[in-house]
Amino acid sequence: MTKHFFRTALLACAVIVSLTSCSKEDPRWSEADKKSKEAIEAKKQAQESGALPKPEEGGSFNKFFPKNEAGYDMIASQEKTGFAEYKLKKDGKELAMIAISDVANNPQAADKFKSSTKKIGGFPAVDQGSTATAVLVGGRFQVKVLSRDASFTKANREAWLQKVNLSGLAAMK
Amino acid sequence: MSKPIFELINELPTSGTTVMSLKALDYIVPGEWQNISGFENMITLVTGESDQAMIQQIGERAITLYNDPAEGYQRAVWLYQTANSIGGKLGAAALANKIGESVSFLSFLEKITPKADKAQAIDFSIKVAAEIIAYAKINGIPGDGVAEFMGAVGDYGKESIMRLAALTCFDGLIPLGPDFLRKIEEFISGLVPHDLTSNPAFSAVSSMIPGGGAEGQLGFVQQGFNSIKGWMGNFVSSKGITAEGVVGSLKNFIEISDDKLDYVAGFLDATTNYFDYTGVQTVGRRLIERAVAEI
Repeated sequence: MTKHFFRTALLACAVIVSLTSCSKEDPRWSEADKKSKEAIEAKKQAQESGALPKPEEGGSFNKFFPKNEAGYDMIASQEKTGFAEYKLKKDGKELAMIAISDVANNPQAADKFKSSTKKIGGFPAVDQGSTATAVLVGGRFQVKVLSRDASFTKANREAWLQKVNLSGLAAMK
Repeated sequence: MSKPIFELINELPTSGTTVMSLKALDYIVPGEWQNISGFENMITLVTGESDQAMIQQIGERAITLYNDPAEGYQRAVWLYQTANSIGGKLGAAALANKIGESVSFLSFLEKITPKADKAQAIDFSIKVAAEIIAYAKINGIPGDGVAEFMGAVGDYGKESIMRLAALTCFDGLIPLGPDFLRKIEEFISGLVPHDLTSNPAFSAVSSMIPGGGAEGQLGFVQQGFNSIKGWMGNFVSSKGITAEGVVGSLKNFIEISDDKLDYVAGFLDATTNYFDYTGVQTVGRRLIERAVAEI
């Protein structure tokens, strides 16, 4: 009887451990989660008080994307306040993502351009990680090309950044 | 607030009935769906990025975007979770998925009551409505004009196309048979607002369905179904999907010893949560795609 009880208790413990182990805290992200809530509130207040500009509508960026390149398809992907993103495909294969974002949504995104040593289309440019190249237009709009296939190189990213109507976007400011 | 996005993705099970049932549909949408679990894995897989500092930045931005209620991603997850839990779930289903064991079909057989066709039709069309609303919450209405928007919607892939494949098979074809679209259309077009308001599935998600009242909401649900039926009919015929084919594939992954389709449907309804599972994956992917572009 006692043996049976212990066996049952052990089994119950095993189940509890396997369940709780699924929902343990992840130290890499828990801190970011806490900080993000303060950041969201601070951004909201800064925008309401006018200390931070309100981001432009994502739809206002659509006309600056390169949509008439022969042999390529540009497919609208996301459009939120201060953000628009298109997928670049060729023969059905996903090559890259092209995005325009208003740094009013995420002001620290502009910081990396301060140490920029190169220009694309006359605007400060940076490489990020191994898949991204970005320019900052008019100090306000980040245009980024992200490789999604190994065949789409850094040179391709730079070329496609120049196909975006950067000067038109700068004039929107 | 519900759980943060990294926890939701970290907790996606890597085995269990949901995972197995989705693997069984791989032959319909080959290679589209991957059993991705783990927030960092997903960041690497979506972006192709292996630089740890970059992964950290992407993850932090994705977490912030998700936590901002104005961005709509949280509402999308809520919709996927709520529309998923409306079936007559058996209490052990969540446990079965969590501890990663397959659930014996026979052990569930006596507890399964096949859903009436009308209730199944309503559940199906509410999932369609939830999918449409969640799409807009996640992606906005992308593109300049209708043609570009239709291009965006037509670009369903990865876990999103798998979710639609599972909706087609597990909530349409298997419980209702090969003419499921016609059956659903019949039921849905004959509904009155009271049919919706007395349905637990509808009650659960009604606060998110546009229409300004039960009558308008019924219109939305009917239009939603009409907008997807052509695509789905073509999906079934162009891929030659049959209930027997799907059940045959399921048998490679899950112990199913009975071919009575409405019992198989009841079993899947009770023991899987494909809508929620793939919905969390879709939201995670879109958040990461946006985060890497915004940092």
